[in-house]
Amino acid sequence: MKVQCELCPKMCLIGPGQSGECRVRINIDGVLRTVVYGYPCSINIDPIEKKPLYHFLPGTPILSIATVGCNLHCKNCQNWEISQANPEDGNISAYFVPPERLVSLTKRNNCPSLAYTYTDPIVYYEYTYDTAKLARSAGIRNVLVTAGYINEQPWKELLKYVDAANIDLKGISDDFYRQVCSGTLKPVQNAMVLAKASGILVEVTNLIIPTLNDKPEQIRELARWIKVNLGGETPLHFSGFYPRYKMRNLPPTSLNTLEMARQIAMGEGLDYVYIGNLRSKQGENTYCPGCKVLLIERSGYTILKNQLKDGCCPDCGKEIYGVWK
Amino acid sequence: MTRRKFIRRLIKASSVIVVGISWLAKNTTPRKFVRAFRVKKYPGPLKPLRNISKQSKWSG
Repeated sequence: MKVQCELCPKMCLIGPGQSGECRVRINIDGVLRTVVYGYPCSINIDPIEKKPLYHFLPGTPILSIATVGCNLHCKNCQNWEISQANPEDGNISAYFVPPERLVSLTKRNNCPSLAYTYTDPIVYYEYTYDTAKLARSAGIRNVLVTAGYINEQPWKELLKYVDAANIDLKGISDDFYRQVCSGTLKPVQNAMVLAKASGILVEVTNLIIPTLNDKPEQIRELARWIKVNLGGETPLHFSGFYPRYKMRNLPPTSLNTLEMARQIAMGEGLDYVYIGNLRSKQGENTYCPGCKVLLIERSGYTILKNQLKDGCCPDCGKEIYGVWK
Repeated sequence: MTRRKFIRRLIKASSVIVVGISWLAKNTTPRKFVRAFRVKKYPGPLKPLRNISKQSKWSG
């Protein structure tokens, strides 16, 4: 008997013994099962700036996990070795870490938050959900780093236990999503709006790929959409592309392109626009949108200076969007 | 119409309404998301947990 997985917009109809597109949700004897629950392939303590999250507990360590699998198949995926892996192939080993152990590891290592990242927490939904619920009750904050390709009902359920999310908006056209990511745009936009409306902290990342989504008008449209639907205070990270996986024919993104994108997005009314994957002096720092004074100075993942006073600009007193303690 | 016949018709009509409303409610509300169950055994290789304090090589 076939079963339908209703987790993401792909709505995979899975035959007996088969898996969905994510490779980790399987039909065993007519029952939908997740093979990665409690089996992360990566557990590391990262700086929170690496997610990237610049407006959420800056300068703190975050325990970060991922299992194999992803419901998208981006041709440019930087983590394709794990995101496109099939656990049965045996190329990627996993740890056995049930939610309780994960929460105790987070506490033992003095991490104030736990990130579900690297691949996509949506495909290890049940593991993410149960761990996040447990972590919340233990006073640990939960962070998702996701492409946001999920159906409304499970997303709303999960958001109850999430504190912050960095959601990828990979492009602003449905064609781009179909051709590069094997997905569609609308569900991602819907997930972003729902996340913001739920009250969690939302930051957005857009990876700029030369010739595919680097035109000024595309960047302008993307920034406008964020401003109108998520608000001008939503931090946006423009990230540089490197040739990877099935997209080795394109050159890396130049710093000029990233800086041009930053100028366009700020011109469209976004208050906090950053540059990632390439070093940029101004593109790494947080400035007050009111009086333009430097608030947080960064160098890579390191905080050099944090002048915020109770989440406000010390000069003009403007409240800065974020979770600061 | 006798009182008995009237009551019978009333009961019939009410039950048709109740069945109709419950059918509508069942078919128009979105289906509740059903979680996937865990498997007893991971299908791939396992390794013991090592030092986790090192920064990950993966992006994100």
